[in-house]
Amino acid sequence: MAHTFDVPDSTDWLNTALPKLAPVETALRCQVCKDFYNTPMITSCSHTFCSLCIRRCLASDGRCPTCRAAGQEVNLRRNGTVEELVETFQSTRADILKLARDAIFSERPKRRSTPPKRKLGDTDLEADDTSRSSSRRTTRSQTQRSQSAAAADPAPITIEDDEDSEEQQPDDGLVACPICNRRMKAESVFSHLDRCDGKPADPRSQSSTPKTPTQLQTIYPQRGIQSPRPPERLPKLNYSLMKENALRKKFSELGIPAWGPKPLLERRHTEWVNLWNANCDSSRPKTKKELLNELDLWERTQGGYASGGAGSSLIKNSSIGGGGGGGGGNTVMRKDFDGAGWAASHSTDFQQLISEAKRKRNAPQSVPAPVPASPAAEPETDVNADRSIEGRVNGALSDLPLRDSNGKVIDDEGGTEKDVDGPVHTSSLSPSRFKPALLSSSSKSMEERVFEQPDDPIEDR
Amino acid sequence: MSASVAAKRLFQEYRLLTNDPPEGIMAGPVNEDDLFSWEALIQGPEGTPFEGGVFPAILTFPKDYPLAPPTMKFTCDLWHPNVYPSGLVCISILHAPGDDPNHYEHASERWSPIQSVEKILISVMSMLAEPNDESPANVEAAKMWRERRKEYEELVRQNVRRGLGL
Repeated sequence: MAHTFDVPDSTDWLNTALPKLAPVETALRCQVCKDFYNTPMITSCSHTFCSLCIRRCLASDGRCPTCRAAGQEVNLRRNGTVEELVETFQSTRADILKLARDAIFSERPKRRSTPPKRKLGDTDLEADDTSRSSSRRTTRSQTQRSQSAAAADPAPITIEDDEDSEEQQPDDGLVACPICNRRMKAESVFSHLDRCDGKPADPRSQSSTPKTPTQLQTIYPQRGIQSPRPPERLPKLNYSLMKENALRKKFSELGIPAWGPKPLLERRHTEWVNLWNANCDSSRPKTKKELLNELDLWERTQGGYASGGAGSSLIKNSSIGGGGGGGGGNTVMRKDFDGAGWAASHSTDFQQLISEAKRKRNAPQSVPAPVPASPAAEPETDVNADRSIEGRVNGALSDLPLRDSNGKVIDDEGGTEKDVDGPVHTSSLSPSRFKPALLSSSSKSMEERVFEQPDDPIEDR
Repeated sequence: MSASVAAKRLFQEYRLLTNDPPEGIMAGPVNEDDLFSWEALIQGPEGTPFEGGVFPAILTFPKDYPLAPPTMKFTCDLWHPNVYPSGLVCISILHAPGDDPNHYEHASERWSPIQSVEKILISVMSMLAEPNDESPANVEAAKMWRERRKEYEELVRQNVRRGLGL
């Protein structure tokens, strides 16, 4: 997920010569995910969202997020105009942004314009960020340009411009159908022959002298040609009518993990249907393997592997109130918890537990096999929890009058909180003391820190 | 670390709030390694007894954000009809459309995935100025606000002064 590191947003325009482009960019972003529209779909109430976003919303409460009109997934239609707008805007965004920023810089010093290198070097962090991200963005937008060429043209091989056919000549191990000359993967030729209508494709698409592929060309055919027709959409299931075993059988037919209790199965299936059907809408569908990876990400962040167990919205309650024992437990439950490292550092504890369990096997209540939160492992946990508290005390936010919400679980479904008591502390804070703690670090360092994999899951709390 | 849908969206919102903050509002993750727990500061609206005060709160986001709303809890003393004695804020925008314990909120006022942290904080700011005493979270405060407005305002002002360490 390399693009996660690159988080442009509409506020990029605010301090440039073109601040009015900020609302333009906002209009090109989905209101649900706040990112640029990805496969925009329009609802029957005429609101547009990313395909995946609106499918998730409809699966969750069946209403349009904007106007709350009841909506159904079958009524979603592709919004090709918006898709084109977004893609063309994205492809030119970096250039406009650079121009708009440079315009500001050249206005300030009323001397002759200095070379761009110098300007960037002279300015502060932000300019540095610009140069860094704009180089990245250029690469990305180039990719997108080639992709949008594919998007604008649903059957890129048969209806091509002269220019394009020269440029997009694939040299990627695909073979041509002997009847229609359409290019495809070798293994799909036979199945294609069964339904080939024999209409020859544009002969230009089958030039016998392929050029050496550029980087873009290798990206293009992978995405554009691989799946000439989108796969079938998946139907929803009526979970209450299905027995658990039938559901598991269905899962293995679909090729998705079939473990866990029935509520988790239902949630996983819903997510899979959303991912799958949104992919069917896409002009550049992903492979099933990529979708499975996304399902796996869901599993780790919201599903069965998510911290807090299988519950739908258990909240990871970390730094704020999670002092003491609760802190240790949360560490283990973190989604990025280093299980292997933990197992290695506690192997003696586990061994001890195993041997104890074996000894007690004949007793009526046998000790279950090693669990991370087992008593033998706890001393270590507490030490770490204490250390992290100490770190917090030294931290900038330490003098915050925090009320203890220790290890508390907030039931999101009910929107209620379990403990509604406890002493209320008096605030003794002034705004100036607060500001640095919240907003001191630039968004650049934030980017780096947030998405870095921490070496030590305990320390990083 | 691969970022979940919720983490990405929260990061976007954080950037937006940092680069273009609305007046009187400040918010961001307490710890930048955990985007699901935010600290927010709200200035007391002018022309109200809360004027001059700065009120810290904690926002806690669910894993399926933005499908479900966060919870918001003031970490300071706040005497207000719509704030529980624990500090928990009770306001319609923080309630999912499905759960309406009191059946007085319009669906249009409640949480939807297109809402945002910024909109929540702006709503809370206007809640400070105009309490809703139809379903009070703090009954005593609501009664005082309705029947003994002067006393209510004086108590709020006292809390504000104390909060500033005066």
